[in-house]
Amino acid sequence: MTDPFEVLGVARRFSLDRAALEQRHRDLSRTLHPDRYVQSPPGERRMALERAVAVNEAFRALRDPLTRAEALLAAHGLAVGDADRPSQALLMEVMELRESLDEARRSPEKVTALLAQVRARSAAEEAALAAAFDADAAPGTAALAAARDALVRLKYFRRFEEEADDALDI
Amino acid sequence: MAYSEKVIEHAENPRNVGTLDKEDPNVGTGLVGAPACGDVMRLQIKVSDDGVIQDAKFKTFGCGSAIASSSLATEWLKGRTLDEASAIRNTDIVKELNLPPVKIHCSVLAEDAIKSAIEDFRKKQSAKREAQG
Repeated sequence: MTDPFEVLGVARRFSLDRAALEQRHRDLSRTLHPDRYVQSPPGERRMALERAVAVNEAFRALRDPLTRAEALLAAHGLAVGDADRPSQALLMEVMELRESLDEARRSPEKVTALLAQVRARSAAEEAALAAAFDADAAPGTAALAAARDALVRLKYFRRFEEEADDALDI
Repeated sequence: MAYSEKVIEHAENPRNVGTLDKEDPNVGTGLVGAPACGDVMRLQIKVSDDGVIQDAKFKTFGCGSAIASSSLATEWLKGRTLDEASAIRNTDIVKELNLPPVKIHCSVLAEDAIKSAIEDFRKKQSAKREAQG
């Protein structure tokens, strides 16, 4: 995957200005808009289109703290993959949460309460990611390992939130 | 994602879903997960005194392939000795369920779960022997 920070030309940081990111995306999209390339040779037109697609993908990746953290870790060659195994403590917590959700499925109040609890956990992990990535201009090995652990927890909590949202929709 | 018939069959009618008492010295529990997809899988075995797996249960929160892999694993585990159980490979699961390449990690997860359940059981047994002197 290409580095979304590079594609959008923004600083490689976890905490970023959401409004500035949106502005950057809008500016680039306008510059690359197909209408501007109507008179251009086909090769140039195609390249502009490919860049526009890349800019959209990069924007989507950076907009969400979870995929933003993934992109930062990938830039350090530390992407979380299929072979990674979470800690027993996390697995126990997640198993317990998922079983509680299964039991709570018929009670929207209980599901909402569980969801609120897990959203708070996600927010804490996002704060942990900000601390790990941005405390230093160049995060060291320990900070990156802490970020990776926080990302794995966040992935599990997000997955729970999706399941809980689905349960509330039915 | 086109699932094979066997995956759908196991995912829709999972075998041996449930829980065994994890405090029971004859029960081994394996708890594993794949962070890339947010899956969590618990697999438990109950072993008789002569080392044969009498019962196996699982609980998996994950995709159809992860559920099918662990469901199939519990079916295969019953009646096997621990050594026979350790010999189960993820590739056996892939073959039986016709898992596509993107779902192979689900079978790896099931193999890991079997191994950790056996390891947990063996740990408990050696702790018991030590306690007995």
